[in-house]
Amino acid sequence: MSGNVETGLGPRTRRLLAGWAWVVFAFLYVPIAVLVVFSFNASSRVNIWGGFSFQWYGEALNNEVITSAIRVSLIVAAVSTAVSVVLGTAVALALDRYRFKGRRALDGTIYLPIVIPDITMAVMLLVFFAEAFKFIDSFGPRFTLGISTIALSHIAFNISFVCVVVRARLDQFDRTLEEAARDLYATGWQTFRRVTLPLIMPGIAAGGLLALTLSLDDVVISAFVAGPGSTTLPVYVFSSIRRGVTPELNAISTLMLAASIALVLGSLALQRRRASASQQTQVL
Amino acid sequence: MTGAVAAVEIDGVTKRFGEVVAVDNVDLAIDDGEFFALLGPSGCGKTTTLRMIAGLDLPTEGSLRIFGEEVGMAPPDLRPVNTVFQAYALFPHMTVRQNIEFGLRMRRVKDPELSQRVAEATGMVRLSGMEDRRPDQLSGGQQQRVALARALVNQPKVLLLDEPLGALDLKLRQEMQQELKALQRTVGITFVFVTHDQEEALAMSERIGVMSEGRLLQVGTPREIYERPASRFVADFIGRTNLLEATVESAGTVRLANGARIEAETSLPAGSEVSVSLRPERARLHPRGTADAEGSSLEGEVRDITYLGHAVVYEVAVGPMSVEVRVEGETGRPFGSGDDVTISWDHGAAAVVAD
Repeated sequence: MSGNVETGLGPRTRRLLAGWAWVVFAFLYVPIAVLVVFSFNASSRVNIWGGFSFQWYGEALNNEVITSAIRVSLIVAAVSTAVSVVLGTAVALALDRYRFKGRRALDGTIYLPIVIPDITMAVMLLVFFAEAFKFIDSFGPRFTLGISTIALSHIAFNISFVCVVVRARLDQFDRTLEEAARDLYATGWQTFRRVTLPLIMPGIAAGGLLALTLSLDDVVISAFVAGPGSTTLPVYVFSSIRRGVTPELNAISTLMLAASIALVLGSLALQRRRASASQQTQVL
Repeated sequence: MTGAVAAVEIDGVTKRFGEVVAVDNVDLAIDDGEFFALLGPSGCGKTTTLRMIAGLDLPTEGSLRIFGEEVGMAPPDLRPVNTVFQAYALFPHMTVRQNIEFGLRMRRVKDPELSQRVAEATGMVRLSGMEDRRPDQLSGGQQQRVALARALVNQPKVLLLDEPLGALDLKLRQEMQQELKALQRTVGITFVFVTHDQEEALAMSERIGVMSEGRLLQVGTPREIYERPASRFVADFIGRTNLLEATVESAGTVRLANGARIEAETSLPAGSEVSVSLRPERARLHPRGTADAEGSSLEGEVRDITYLGHAVVYEVAVGPMSVEVRVEGETGRPFGSGDDVTISWDHGAAAVVAD
């Protein structure tokens, strides 16, 4: 009876909807389960179960091409996250705090990399690098596509994501706290260090985790701007899949899945802490 | 107070936000050790005035001195004042202790002085034992005390309070009024306090400055403000009052709109359009024809009665005007609707105010 009052649905409808939710859930997660299960398959045939084994994890991690791809991926992810967190936070602060020429235009376009299709972004960046190299090469040094162009490209899209998440946090930020700090003899910099930064830190951290995930997952853009010998892990997986799915790929995909889930859960936990913290400030 | 340096001296200060004039050419001197209230409706410029003393807003024109030193354009960290903010603005990521010691740390005060002063301030606002809690674990009243301690621990020369009791419920607010007054006597520094609550201003402060639309209308003791309002706005804003339209006849008499002549002191020239402010509780009600000969009186008819327990409020029709009379601790037979009555008041109980 109470269920009816709350949802306005009869018990039959409720059971049906609950059943449907399970169907959707299965649709989403059964393929993942299959992937994970077969990554522990002892057989070398992808679709025939031959017993439980860690064999393919071992082989994957002994494959030098794969370990090199993992290394590139981690370096690119670390560098692009670190840089985009700093730049994205700075842009968010500028947009939130100051009225300057072109602010509205910047405010509207900072989100573009989020909505531009990856493939467009990839072509765009490739053309840009080609032109830039032509220009730089005319002064003598020679640059080529490689790990640094991948990192630059990841920074280019990650700044937007960090900026969006940090701005959401800044929107809820109570500016009188900064005035209180100023009133208590803090200089502008001390106010930022002691009050603003700690309070928007959950937003910055969530943005950083998001950036890390996006960088580790990216295929399209990385594939375009990668050079010889500088393949990221997703690009490696993508290119080897054309030669057929191997158990090795299952193992690597499972590892990437685990890493992504860990990062997303971390990001969610931080955002939840943000939400409850903002509820508390509202109660104040 | 002549000769002594004013704690805060505001000299021709104007603040504009774009086209809007928030504070309009205000002159004000607040004495050392005074409990001063800036009173007015929201948007009257009282908070902006306070923020200019704090240095959170800078004046567009004019000069501002704290104990003789010009600070008009100085940043807040270089002024010997501290503020208790409206919603307290406690740092949510810091404990009570960290909040209170913030100002001292910024000024590089070291232990043992630091701990000693923090302990003193914590004790003064009766928060000892709560030092390690976070603001969200405290009640509204306790948060208020943390905000006070956080400001007072710095031993400011002037403490600024922006609607400090606004967020508290009625009972707590009345307790905190007494506590703030006691605290001000203990520390002996100047308190400048912003409120829109006229009762709070009357109950707490030694002097009140009434503001409206950016201008400072009147400065005086609570008694002066209440008994001798300088304008219609002040009379109406402070407490309840009857404002009766009148014309000045001579220095001692005015003529009301219904033709009745009453005695009232005024320095305005004959013929001036004025209002007579008569407080409901200063008027008395009698059955028609039994009023005392002293003072002034008006004849009317009871139209409406509001019973409040400790008092009864009668609305009396006097010609086209309506006069409210408040009878406290009523004895004898109460009046009924439609009774013919005489309203009387002592000489000097009604004030003439310019429109």
